[in-house]
Amino acid sequence: MQSYWFGDVDENGCTPYRGGPEALAKRLETIPSSPDSFTPFDWRNAEKCSFTPDRGEYIRKLRELCFYLSEAGITRQYESRDAELLQMVRTLDQLDEVSNVLTERALEWHRITNPGFSRKYMRLPKQKLLPMMKRGGSPAFRQVINEIENLASVRTALMKEVSRRADEVLPNCSALLGGLVAARLVSQAGSLATLSRLPGSSIQVLGARTALFSHMRGGTPPPKHGIIFQHRRVHNAPKEVRGKVARVLAAKLAIAARLDQYRQELAEEFIETAQAAIDNAGSIT
Amino acid sequence: MIWVENVLVSSGEGGVYGERMLREFRVWDPYRSKLAAYYYLGGEFELKRDLVVLYLGAANGTTVSHVADYAGTVYAIEFAPRPMQDLVAVARRRNNVVPLMADAAQPDRYAPLLEVADLIYQDIAQPEQVKIAIRNSMFLRDDGRMLIMLKTRSIDTAEEPGVVLEHSVSELATARISVLDTKWLDPYHRDHAAILCSPARN
Repeated sequence: MQSYWFGDVDENGCTPYRGGPEALAKRLETIPSSPDSFTPFDWRNAEKCSFTPDRGEYIRKLRELCFYLSEAGITRQYESRDAELLQMVRTLDQLDEVSNVLTERALEWHRITNPGFSRKYMRLPKQKLLPMMKRGGSPAFRQVINEIENLASVRTALMKEVSRRADEVLPNCSALLGGLVAARLVSQAGSLATLSRLPGSSIQVLGARTALFSHMRGGTPPPKHGIIFQHRRVHNAPKEVRGKVARVLAAKLAIAARLDQYRQELAEEFIETAQAAIDNAGSIT
Repeated sequence: MIWVENVLVSSGEGGVYGERMLREFRVWDPYRSKLAAYYYLGGEFELKRDLVVLYLGAANGTTVSHVADYAGTVYAIEFAPRPMQDLVAVARRRNNVVPLMADAAQPDRYAPLLEVADLIYQDIAQPEQVKIAIRNSMFLRDDGRMLIMLKTRSIDTAEEPGVVLEHSVSELATARISVLDTKWLDPYHRDHAAILCSPARN
């Protein structure tokens, strides 16, 4: 006997399932999946089945079921806890880009209206630079600067939200890496589920795509770190052990991501030993 | 296939993805669709009204919509939720498209929903692409055809595309699938090859 979405078929004929898409979908889950013994349904042998003689009706019912399944599947994917975090962190990074581009342009504008402007002002931090530029500009120019300052406050609020959400969704990765960088890691991998299936060596170079491919194509040394470089213990490590720290951290992150995906709570014991191992990697003996 | 003034077209309701219209036909752009490129380069496998097509890697359903204009029934498999939203919208406007949200690498998960297919068309960016095609060949009729759009750069970025194609062909041969024809899709798609194959006769 072989089970299909519409019913069971054996040499005596066909026993159709009754019910709407919802019932059929539930039924579908109970059909055992065994790729070796499965015989796909062949329309040419359909005359046995009282439900199927009309192909138009067959396809109509099947489509009804498949629309139901597809929509349920899309909803399920978007409901996963990391989906929104992903959008948040991408928005955050894009806010940075926009704000930098606008600041650069405003600087060029400011330079033209102020002959005394020189390179030394460029080194000022943004918070000082912007109010300085605002003095004496045209009304439209001042509005642009206001908008940039606005973006900065939006960014601060969003960053807090990202960290908070990351602590919730990625407790273990956040404990090792900090919420923001952990969220970026997930964003680069595509989803927490994908990240949790990556080996440590891939996590280590996540976000170093260009360097990795130029290495694989030939010649250049392999990248030591991708996104995890943003973590202080990697970028503060002495150069000679930086690769080692990145490697150990990435290996621990691979475990942390799996904990986040499947246990969904903080594993304090693991974090403790992992922190010790990472610190140990960073100390020069 | 329908050609109007040497432009490949299909007949169906327009406005699926902003495609151009030529008289009452929908223009099928070879630069956007690998299947269209295959026909521009003289591909001989013709889509016909009585065909059941299993389409792996349906994406947003742009090529699917053209295939559906020619073929009988199209089972469109896509895995990612975002293109799936577009695909569902396309399927709603074409009543011979069956959308399935599933991973093509796990055919047993959607097997009960399918039927035996006359053509398996595969366009997925996976290093395991050929293995996935072989796994899905269980749905293929004995005299059916499989058309694989080989993305050599997704299979191995570092290897020469020609070598990747050779490997893929021998991988198919080991799985008792004989290759009838291969075609590079230059200049429409770089480093992509079309492989037309069929199950080997016992």
